[in-house]
Amino acid sequence: MKQQAFETHYAARWDAFADWLKRAGGQRTKTQPAEPAIDPMQVPARYRELCQHLALARDRQYSADLIERLSRLALAGHQALYAARSRGLERVWQFLRSGFPRAVRRDVRFVVLAALLFFGPLLVLTFAIPEHPDFAYVVLPAKVLDDVQEMYGEAAKTLGRKREADTDVAMFGFYIFNNVRIGFQTFAGGLVFGLGTIFYLLYNGVFIGAITGHIIHSGLATQFFSFTSGHSAFELGAICLSGAAGLKLGHAVLAPGQLKRAAALRAAAAEAVPLVAGLAGMLLVAAAIEAFWSPRTFLLPVVKYAVGGTLWLLLLLYFTFAGRGRAA
Amino acid sequence: MLDTAREIPTPEGIELNLRLAGPVARALAWAVDLLLRVAVFGVLSIPLAMLGNVGGGIYLILWFALEWLYPTAFEVYFGGATPGKRALALMVLHSDGTPVGLPASLTRNLLRAVDFLPFLYGFGLLAMLLSRDFQRLGDIAAGTVVVYRELDLQHGAIPLAVPLQPARPLSAAEQRTLLDLAARSQVLTPERAQELASLAPRLTGARDDAAALGRVLSIANYLIGRRPQ
Repeated sequence: MKQQAFETHYAARWDAFADWLKRAGGQRTKTQPAEPAIDPMQVPARYRELCQHLALARDRQYSADLIERLSRLALAGHQALYAARSRGLERVWQFLRSGFPRAVRRDVRFVVLAALLFFGPLLVLTFAIPEHPDFAYVVLPAKVLDDVQEMYGEAAKTLGRKREADTDVAMFGFYIFNNVRIGFQTFAGGLVFGLGTIFYLLYNGVFIGAITGHIIHSGLATQFFSFTSGHSAFELGAICLSGAAGLKLGHAVLAPGQLKRAAALRAAAAEAVPLVAGLAGMLLVAAAIEAFWSPRTFLLPVVKYAVGGTLWLLLLLYFTFAGRGRAA
Repeated sequence: MLDTAREIPTPEGIELNLRLAGPVARALAWAVDLLLRVAVFGVLSIPLAMLGNVGGGIYLILWFALEWLYPTAFEVYFGGATPGKRALALMVLHSDGTPVGLPASLTRNLLRAVDFLPFLYGFGLLAMLLSRDFQRLGDIAAGTVVVYRELDLQHGAIPLAVPLQPARPLSAAEQRTLLDLAARSQVLTPERAQELASLAPRLTGARDDAAALGRVLSIANYLIGRRPQ
């Protein structure tokens, strides 16, 4: 068939498909008839027909303008038909209810490894520094330790704050800016064979452990734990999860198994995304608690310990039991 | 290695043609985005400064959002391109040609932290140059590519002319060449189209370039099957 005959024969069908694409893309044309040009149930068949026309045009070596026009239509049709449809809020709820805890359980060995790397130095230093208090000054600069003492000292009206930054909203912004960024960087560091993640986990563990040990040695333990117990569950848990996600990436790069490295990395990244999204949410909650609840001094310490302990328990129960026994 | 055309096979048996974007275009898009973000930040920091400490908190949240969430939000919800990419006519797709989704966009944008090392996207540039599809590390992990958004048609319809049968039968390659020139004659400047048409004097047999182009168009009309009415 000559090109001209081909074009005149099928032009109407191509135009109808293009019109459907415009509607599917949400654009409104000025002269739009009430009926769509194509019955939606027919769209896949019409797309396949368009692909066949394109293949014919290429095979018969029709002119470049026709091939270009059909290629553009085919690309747009491909994107319209094969794009993943996000289901919005329902998907978020599904994620919280089962997607996130299942992702954590699936990668539990990475979570355990990250917890060892993070809590290991943290606990060692927490218990060792009260015995050897000068070691705190080896690990951290003196100014940091003095600041910390000031934040939890007797004179602190609100806990955990230096006197300059004394509104909750400002600190909320700061905690979001600082902590979520740390979480993301810990995750991203896993790409470098896991070394970045390991470094961040060890560094943060040492840092927090040294501060905690120093605080205990200075006799400010009650104020300190009164401040930190509320948000500690969410924040430390999130750091563990970011470490787990990063280690997962590092493992894919180091030991891709049967796959090529790029393919193993893609698969690991796809599985790590739920962890990262979940930990970002946890850090947001932790920032809110840390900014609005933790600094309050009018509550008895024992109340805050109770709340903190309950949150730890709830988180552990959530990750252990949520999302079980439900069809995927 | 120098070819930036990517052909993606589809389940329907055809191949989609995409043109990959190289580091220079992507760097320019990033620069535009950076200027835009700095401008937004600068403009918003004035009213925020007046709000005191509450403003300080919002300032930091804004900084966080502009640094980490800005690219993802635009890529997923605004047609696969941040304003900087849109200015350069680029867009982000999955490597199978479908529009980029939230998990892939999150992955490629969070891993920017590694691509940015040691400074100004050093690792990212290295990865782009070594990869077949100009993918930086974030793209490799997410399975995405950055392609040119083809906005202008390269060819126009073949203009109507009185069909004229060529003096001798033409081979497939010769027909192809004539049809391509006829299709491009709408897009080229008239001088250039005539110059190209004058390259086949024995076929066109014309004395001046304008007539040569007219002769080429007539033969092209004949080849695609238009007949004198």
